[in-house]
Amino acid sequence: MPSSKGTNLNRINSQFHWGIIFFFILLAVGLLLSTHSRLISIYWLTGIALGYILQRSRFCFTAATRDPFLTGSTTITRAVLIGLGLTTIGFAGIKFFFATWGLPIPGQEYIQGIGLSTIVGGVFFGIGTVLASGCASGMLMRIGEGYHLQIITLIFFFIGSILGNIHLEWWNQNFVLIPEGIFLPDVFGWLGALGIQLAVIVGLYVLAVKWEEKHDD
Amino acid sequence: MEQKKKFEDWFKHSWTYVTGAILLSFMQIITLAITGHPWGITSAFAFWGSRLINALGGDSYFPVSSENIQTYQAWFLQDPVTLRNIGIIVGATLAALLASQFRVKKIKSKKQIIGVAAGGLLMGYGSSIASGCNIGAFYSGIASMSLSGWVFGVFLFVGAIIGGKLLIRFFM
Repeated sequence: MPSSKGTNLNRINSQFHWGIIFFFILLAVGLLLSTHSRLISIYWLTGIALGYILQRSRFCFTAATRDPFLTGSTTITRAVLIGLGLTTIGFAGIKFFFATWGLPIPGQEYIQGIGLSTIVGGVFFGIGTVLASGCASGMLMRIGEGYHLQIITLIFFFIGSILGNIHLEWWNQNFVLIPEGIFLPDVFGWLGALGIQLAVIVGLYVLAVKWEEKHDD
Repeated sequence: MEQKKKFEDWFKHSWTYVTGAILLSFMQIITLAITGHPWGITSAFAFWGSRLINALGGDSYFPVSSENIQTYQAWFLQDPVTLRNIGIIVGATLAALLASQFRVKKIKSKKQIIGVAAGGLLMGYGSSIASGCNIGAFYSGIASMSLSGWVFGVFLFVGAIIGGKLLIRFFM
């Protein structure tokens, strides 16, 4: 429906100007936060960037674990493997740098203990992502896109998390196999661990390619 | 005018999964370098769950990580992980608006609610006992070269297979 100003239907449905306004609001909030602490404004800005990337690339960890068995597609699985490989290299570099300078290695709280809780937690989480068709990051992205359903997911995620935390002490005391966890470089050395981990990721990538070829009919 | 149209169209292009993977990796690496912690989401839930239980008069011993209790003046700034989670939500809104894809999607059926409620509960419970979700325990765990990340990842696949079977049986 062209109007006298030469705008077309496409223009009328455009939300671009709202996006620009929203961008400046988010930026203003970031500046306001930086007056409290520079670090906290970085959390804010990286969150926005992560949300933007997740939305644009439709990156979905659920599809990565679900699709190989449900549809035979491994496109997103392979992308996740690429992400794991690249991030491993970056993290290893940072951690190695700190270690060689004798500084405390950052992010070591992510070296978690292993036990029945890891296994049950993984299975529960895996079932949950498929039933809710979205994982934690996907859920946040969907809410941002305007989906009401994922707000329900978020509420029940929160309730589930409270229940899990109430039971946590039991899980931490029973069926624990390796309480302090294993940081692979402690076992194989820095180069050995990096090499083994990247080899496993490449191996899985090859397997994913073969899997899709087999199921592609 | 033509220039402006081109500029606007740039925000409409969707990216490939590989582009997403490369950019997410970049964000992960700068996050670890700057904040000293990899990207995590669910520690925010433990933080607020703990506060809620305390507010109700209960005694909670939820493990709240050091990342979540950096104290700032304003109460809502106490947990930077929560702030980043909100950032992910509004970042997705920003991307959707710039691409003219923002749509309010209402809930269609009761069946949908049952599915996401069950899924949400399982994800919440699972992430609490395994100390993390698809991001913290899986993505950041493996990238941190922790064996726990790999174990969690294997059972995430097992769960996805079971979930797929349940989905076909009860929800399709």
